[in-house]
Amino acid sequence: MADNKMLIKFFVASESIFFIMLILAYVNFKGTVVDGPTAESSLNPYVTGIFSLFLLASSFTIWLAGKSLRAKNHTMMKVWLLVTIVLGAIFIFGQGREWAGLIEQNITISRNVFGTTFFTLTGFHGFHVCVGLIMLSILLGLALFGDFKGPRSDGVEVISIYWHFVDGVWIVVYSVIYVWAFFL
Amino acid sequence: MEILQLFNAGWSFEPWALVFASVLVGAYLLGVGTRLNRHSVLYMSGVLVMLFALVSPLDYLGRHYLFSAHMIQHILLLLIVPLLLLFGIPKSTAEKLLKIEPIGKMMRVLSYPPVAWFLGVGAMWVWHMPSIHDMALNNNSLYITQLVSFVLIGMIFWWPVFTPIENRRLNPLTGTLYLASACLGCTILGMLITFAGAGLYTAYINPVDSAGLLALIRNDLCITPGVDQQIGGLTMWVPGCLIYLSASMITLAQWYGAPDEGVSAARQEAA
Amino acid sequence: MSRRLPLVPENTEPLPSLKENQGMLAWVSSVDHKQIGLMYLMVTMVFFVVGGLEALLMRIQLSQPEFNFISPEVYNQLFTMHGTTMIFFVVMPFLIGVGVYLVPLMIGARDMAFPRLNALSFWLVVFGGILIYYSFLTQSGAPDMGWFAYSPLSEKPFSLNKGPTYWALGLLATGISSVASGLNNIVTILTMRTPGMTMRRIPLFVWMILVTSFLLIFVIPIIASAFAMMLLDRLLEATFFTPAHGGSAILWQHFFWGFGHPEVYILILPAFGIISEVIPVFSRKPIFGYEFVAGSTVAIGLLSLGVWAHHMFAVGLGDVTNLYFSLASMLIAIPTGVKVLNWVATMWGGKIIFATPMLFATAFIIEFVMGGITGVAIASVPIDWVVTDSYFIVAHFHYVLYGGSMFAIFAGVYYWFPKFTGRMMSETLGKWHFWLTIIGFNMTFFVQHFLGVMGMPRRIYTYQDFPYWGSMNLISTIGAVVLALSVLVFMWNVHVSRKRGKKAGNNPWDAWTLEWAAASPPAVHNFDLVPPVRGRRPLWDLAHPEQPDEPNAKVVD
Ligand code: HEM
Ligand SMILES: [Cu+2]
Repeated sequence: MADNKMLIKFFVASESIFFIMLILAYVNFKGTVVDGPTAESSLNPYVTGIFSLFLLASSFTIWLAGKSLRAKNHTMMKVWLLVTIVLGAIFIFGQGREWAGLIEQNITISRNVFGTTFFTLTGFHGFHVCVGLIMLSILLGLALFGDFKGPRSDGVEVISIYWHFVDGVWIVVYSVIYVWAFFL
Repeated sequence: MEILQLFNAGWSFEPWALVFASVLVGAYLLGVGTRLNRHSVLYMSGVLVMLFALVSPLDYLGRHYLFSAHMIQHILLLLIVPLLLLFGIPKSTAEKLLKIEPIGKMMRVLSYPPVAWFLGVGAMWVWHMPSIHDMALNNNSLYITQLVSFVLIGMIFWWPVFTPIENRRLNPLTGTLYLASACLGCTILGMLITFAGAGLYTAYINPVDSAGLLALIRNDLCITPGVDQQIGGLTMWVPGCLIYLSASMITLAQWYGAPDEGVSAARQEAA
Repeated sequence: MSRRLPLVPENTEPLPSLKENQGMLAWVSSVDHKQIGLMYLMVTMVFFVVGGLEALLMRIQLSQPEFNFISPEVYNQLFTMHGTTMIFFVVMPFLIGVGVYLVPLMIGARDMAFPRLNALSFWLVVFGGILIYYSFLTQSGAPDMGWFAYSPLSEKPFSLNKGPTYWALGLLATGISSVASGLNNIVTILTMRTPGMTMRRIPLFVWMILVTSFLLIFVIPIIASAFAMMLLDRLLEATFFTPAHGGSAILWQHFFWGFGHPEVYILILPAFGIISEVIPVFSRKPIFGYEFVAGSTVAIGLLSLGVWAHHMFAVGLGDVTNLYFSLASMLIAIPTGVKVLNWVATMWGGKIIFATPMLFATAFIIEFVMGGITGVAIASVPIDWVVTDSYFIVAHFHYVLYGGSMFAIFAGVYYWFPKFTGRMMSETLGKWHFWLTIIGFNMTFFVQHFLGVMGMPRRIYTYQDFPYWGSMNLISTIGAVVLALSVLVFMWNVHVSRKRGKKAGNNPWDAWTLEWAAASPPAVHNFDLVPPVRGRRPLWDLAHPEQPDEPNAKVVD
C-alpha cells in the first residue's frame, strides 16, 4: 500500500507550514533587538555547524539503511539504523550543550525577542529530532527482534521520509539563524 | 499631462535587448516557420511583451527610481513572457528540439519538477536579496544577466506544467500543488518586502534624479520610498500569486476536458 | 461490454446493530467511520446547545438598555466561549463528521484510509472541548478576550486568569485533530475510490471535503504555531506578542487572520458540498456545471489564503496594502458567485420537490447571498472603517455562518438522516423547524445591520437608551428566542424520528450517489457489492441503463 507514504508526505507538508511560521517569527524580530543578546553576540556558528554535520550525515546513513533493506541485507540495515540514531543523538547533545551555555549566561526564552524566537525555533526542531530518535529506536528494536525482512517496509520508508524532513528543516534553520548572522 | 512625462521618459532601445529579441524571433522562424497561426501569434506576443518590459519606461523607472516598476517588469519577464513563449512552441518542434542530445539531456535534468521549482522560486528570492539587487543596479552586465535569466528560468519553471508535449505534463493535481507551493514561496517573499520597513533597497531611497522625475513621483504622485516598496511587495504577492492561481485553473480545466482514461488508472489498479 | 448490469441486491438479513451488545464500550472503542461520524454529530449537537444557551444569555442581557442581568465580566466570557464553541466545536466538527461518515460511502470504500487515526481525531475534539470548558470551573473563569484572542489582551499582564491558557491548549488539541482528519480524508479520497470512480466523477461533496482538507492541513499549522507562541508567552514568559518587551501585537493579528480567513472557507466549503448534493436530487436534474463547481472551489481555496488583512483594515497597514487586500477580497466573490449561479441553474426548469432538505437548501442560497453581499461591502476599505467592530460585522458573519453553514447542516441532516438511522425525519416537524428558523434567524440578525450602521459596537455588555436601539435589540432578542424554539423542534424531531419515523429503505429520495446503494443504516462493511461506476450518477445509470449519464464511458470492472 502506498497510503502510508502518501500520508507522511502530506504530513510533512503540513509540518513545514508550522516551521515556516516559526521562522517568519524569527525573521520578523531579527534586527529589532534594542538591548540584550542577539544571534551575533551570543552564538557560535562553527561549533553548531560541526554538530549540524552529524545530523546531515544521519540523513545519509538512514538512506543506506533503506538501501540495505532493499538488498535484503538485514544486518547492515540494523547497523545503519544504529549509526543514524547515534548521529542524531550527537546532534541533540550538541544542541543541549549550546542551550546550557546560553542559559548559563542568562540568555533565556524570556530575556528578549532574540531569546524568545531562538529557543522556540530550535526547541521545536529539537523536539522533532527527539521524536524521530524515539521512532528510530522503536524501528531498531523491532528489527533486532527480527522484523522487516525486506525488500520493502513502509515503517522504514515512512520514518526515513520524516527524518529527511527534520534534516531539511535544520538546513533552513541553520541558514536563517547562523549563516545570516555570521556569513552574510 | 504630467504623468505623460513618465511615459515619455526613458524609452531605451538598448542593443542587447534588441539582439535578445531578434534571437528569439530568428530561432522561431528557423525552427518553426513563418506561418501565421495560434502558436506563432502567442509566441510573437510573448516577444513583444518582453520587448515592452525591456525598452519601455518600466525598465528605466525600475532601474533608477521605483522598486515597484522593477517588480512589474520582473513579473512580466518571469511569469508572463515565458508562458506565452512556451504556448507558442508547437509540439513537433519541442520534440525535435529535445532529440538534439545536449538540449534533451539538459532539459531532462532542469525540467525535473523539484529542480524547476527551486530554480523558479529561487530566482525570485535570490534576485531580491537587497544586497544582490543593489549590486545588479550598479553593474550593467549583472543587470542584463538578471533580466535574461528571468525569461530563461521562467521557461524552465513553467515547463513541467505546460510543456508543449502534453503527455509529459505533470498530472493536474500535482501541477496544482506545484503551482500553489510556488505561489506560497512568492507570497512569503512579497509579505516580507511589504511589511519590512522602508528602505530595504537602498538605491531607491535617494535616487540620482537623472531625468528630473523625482519631484513628480514624490510630490505629485505621493510615492514615498515606503509606499514604493509596499507596492512592489504587494505586486509580487497579489497579482503574482494570481498568475500561479490562474495557471492552475487552466491545468484543472484541461484535465476536465481530457478524455477519461488514464486519469487514475494507476490508482484504480492499486485499489 | 453491454452485459446486463447487476442491480444492487436488497438486504434480506437483519442488519448487524452498530452497538452489538457491548453498549457504550462498542462506541468508545470503535474505529468504524460510521460510528465515529455519528459520534461527531452527537457531540456537536451538545456543543450547539451549550453555545446556543450562551448566546441566549447574551441576548437577554441586551434586550433592553442598561439592563442588569449578567455582569460585564461574565458577558465577556460568554461571547468568547460562544464564538469559540460555534466555530471550533460545532460547525467544524459537524462538517468533518458528516465527511467522515459519507466520504467512504460516496466513493465506494470500506472505511477511511486510517481508521484509528480517525478515532484519534474524534477523541481529540472531545478532549479539546472539555479542556476549554473546564476553564469555567477554575477560579477566575473562562477566557474573556474574544474568539480572536487579540494580544495584548490575551497576554499575562491583561489576563491573569488561566482561561486563555486552557483556551489555547484546547484549541491546539482540536487543531491537531483537524490536521489528522484532513490528512485522512486526502489519502482516502485519493487512493480508496472504487474502480470507475475517477476524480471527475466523485460527488461534489467529496470534492469540497478534499479542498477543505487541503485547507486544513495547510492553515491549521499557522494557528497551531501561534497558539504555541501564545502559550510560551503565558507559561514561560516569552515575549512574542507583548509590545512592552519588544514583541509585536500586530504579529498575532497577522497569524490569527492568516488562519482565520481560510478558516471561514473551511466552515463553508463542505456546506457548499451538502447543498450541491441536495439541490440536484430535489430538482430531479444533474448538477449544472459540475466542473465549475469543483474548479471554483479550488480557486476559492487558493484565493482565501491571500486576503486575511481585510480583517485588519483599521490597524493602519497603509493605504496601498489596504487597497490590494480589498481588491483581492472582492475577487473571491467571483468563484463564490459562480457556485450560486450553478445552483440556481440546476433548479431552473427542474421538477422541484420542496421537502425539508430542499427548503433549507433554497433558503441557504438566499441567506448566504445576503451575507456575501455585506461581505463584499465591508471588503471595501471606507465602508469597513465605518462599520468595523460594530453590529454590522456581527450581522455579516451570522448570515454566512448561520444562514450559510448551519442551514446547510440542517439540510444535510434531513437529507441523510434516513441513511444514518434507517428512518425518515418527520416532514411536519421539519416544516415547523424550517419556518421558525427563517423567522427567528432573520429577526435576530437582520436588524443588527441597522444597529451596526447606527454605531452600536460589538462586544459591549450594555448600551445607553439611544433612539431605536432598545426596540431593535428587543426585536433581535425575541428573534433569538424563536430561533431557540426552532432548535428545540429540530431536536424533538431527531428524537422521535429515530425510533418512530417512517422506515426509509435504501434510497428514499431516489438519489444517485453511491451512499444510497448501501443499506440504511449501512452494514458494518458498507457494501456487499459496490455498483459499477461509469458516470457521475451511478444509481441513475443502474436504473436507466438505456440513458446513461456518460454514454461513451468505458467500463472498468
Ligand atoms: C463573499 C465573500 C466574503 C467577503 C468579501 C468577506 C469579507 C469580510 C470582511 C472584510 C470582514 C472583516 C470585517 C471587520 O472586522 O471589519 C469579515 C468578517 C467576517 N467574516 Fe466575512 N467575508 C466573506 C464571506 C464570509 C464567509 C463565507 C464566512 C463564513 C462562513 C465569513 C465569516 C466571517 C466572520 C466570522 C467574520 C468576523 C470575524 C470577527 O471579526 O470576529 N465571511 N468578512
Ligand atoms: Cu475574512
